[in-house]
Amino acid sequence: MSGSRSKATVLWAIVWFDLILLSLPTIIIFGASFTTGDIVQFPPEGFSLKWYSKLWLLDDFKAAFFRTFYVSLICTAVSIPAGTLAAIALSRYRIRFYTGLQVYLLLPFTIPLVVSGLGMMIFFGEIRILGQLWPVGIGLCIINLPFMIWAVSASVNGLDDQLENAAANCGAPPLQAFLTVTLPGVMPGVITGALLMFILAFNEFLVSLFLTDARIVTLPVSIYNSIRSVITPDLAAVSAVYIIIAFIAVLLLDKLVGLELFLKSK
Amino acid sequence: MKNISPVVELIDVSKRFGKITAVGNVNFSLSKGAVLTILGPSGCGKTTLLRMIAGFESPTTGKIRINGKPVQAVPPYRRSIGMVFQNLALFPHMTAGENIAYPLKMRRFPPQDIPELVERYLGIVRLTGMEDRRIHQLSGGQQQRVAIARALSFNPDLLLLDEPLSALDKKLREEMQLEFRRIQQKIGVTTINVTHDQREALVMSDEIIVMADGVIQQSADPVSLYRQPSNKFVASFIGLTSLMKGTVDQIEGTTVKFNVNTTSLWGQTSSKFHIGESVEGAIRAEQVRVHTEQTRPVGMDNVLDGVVEEQIFEGDRMVYQIRCPALDSAPIFVFDHDPAHNVLHRRGDRVVLSWNIRDLLVYPD
Repeated sequence: MSGSRSKATVLWAIVWFDLILLSLPTIIIFGASFTTGDIVQFPPEGFSLKWYSKLWLLDDFKAAFFRTFYVSLICTAVSIPAGTLAAIALSRYRIRFYTGLQVYLLLPFTIPLVVSGLGMMIFFGEIRILGQLWPVGIGLCIINLPFMIWAVSASVNGLDDQLENAAANCGAPPLQAFLTVTLPGVMPGVITGALLMFILAFNEFLVSLFLTDARIVTLPVSIYNSIRSVITPDLAAVSAVYIIIAFIAVLLLDKLVGLELFLKSK
Repeated sequence: MKNISPVVELIDVSKRFGKITAVGNVNFSLSKGAVLTILGPSGCGKTTLLRMIAGFESPTTGKIRINGKPVQAVPPYRRSIGMVFQNLALFPHMTAGENIAYPLKMRRFPPQDIPELVERYLGIVRLTGMEDRRIHQLSGGQQQRVAIARALSFNPDLLLLDEPLSALDKKLREEMQLEFRRIQQKIGVTTINVTHDQREALVMSDEIIVMADGVIQQSADPVSLYRQPSNKFVASFIGLTSLMKGTVDQIEGTTVKFNVNTTSLWGQTSSKFHIGESVEGAIRAEQVRVHTEQTRPVGMDNVLDGVVEEQIFEGDRMVYQIRCPALDSAPIFVFDHDPAHNVLHRRGDRVVLSWNIRDLLVYPD
């Protein structure tokens, strides 16, 4: 009894220590955004929403926010077909160069982002698309695609491998079988992966730093640029909005993961 | 009666995966309304055979005809075949009703007929009122029924069953065997069933094909298959059979005398032997009678002394495993029915075994 209780105590202590450590920066930024003073400080001096009320006046941030949103949408839109089809192919079909293809698709995980960023900058420059916004979305899709593939693979592996044969046996031609049986079957993975891709693209900094210039900075880059000059509490407010968006995405994910359990036959 | 050509016909069908021959020169045909079971141990090629008929694999050599037409070039979705898969492969994102309606939609049945057909087949598999249930809300037996209804709803020419009962517990499995039989007889659909369960094969089939190593060992109706196994493999695969090796000593028509060490045994054979050839005798557990020294039988053809090595009580019968010094190799298994009224033999007891000549089947070794 006492042994298991002391084990529980130690485990909970570790959990709480980690939780606090992980959430501390968020708490500090949140707190600082409510300050009445003119500098970022924690605990905040007084309480006000004045920095939030000024957010709409920060045209640079606003523009950067919408650009980030656009980039994330492109990243998600590209990753859904690419990641879904790759995941289904990798886990369902006996394909040639299986290992090679798998390594190739998961490569972005092992390459440092600095290298990926630099490589894409040079390549995009060569084909004269550097300085436009949409290639940033493509770039972010490439570096984060493994997440999409993993999310969908988990769903594919949960499916009975005879489902497509069963559909064919029911009279469904291959495309029809794919659309009516395989795709709905992996939908939970696709939804999870898509949300993940969106939020990863929304937060991505390093590769965006390489691929954007002053005219098309995304929000994380824009925040980074501002802290190099003056750190004012409006930055904290921008960051807080950021956190809220991320939080909403996680809530959404949770709701849809619940949906996943609902869709799965167990 | 118009169509006299068999529903399914396999002509010299072989399937090789690389150097491995999964199915070798299989021939059979099946007439309308019959139930055929392909019985064999796992890895004998029975599932590959079924997948070739369904169209998921194509034969390396040989021909498959369905309703008299060769089907090499016909993809699975154009074959009029319903299949119940080993893991059922029900569509998890659809309800029971939607699963049953799926083949009807894909095969372009008039949309207004579909609800009525779904209703009808739900009734046949006794799931009326369950059409809105999701698959994971159904029990194992109910899922089986949905899978059967899905395979039958479009009125296929042929029904294939790929060991769908193997995952169920014994009681439910036996219940579903009878259920299959009932549904099959009601609908009259030509059926090919694949299983490794000999009881299932005997219960469900009009005809049984026993396969081993990709080759047909015997093809017969259940009763002949059980009573007249054509080789050693079939004899030992079906029923509980004891084997004894020996050499031929004397031949009188279909009766053979063979010696195991110094013991002579008399048996029945359909093969041609010559004196001195090594053979194997096979006797089913229910054909052996067990006695004590006091009741030593007279007038029986084969009588052997033995010692009880193991006794297993199975409720409706006692299974004895008896070691006979005269046959130094394998033990002899004996079923003793109604053990409550008979003498119980305990482990270590000396007993006397006997059986008739016609029950000891002699095969080439």
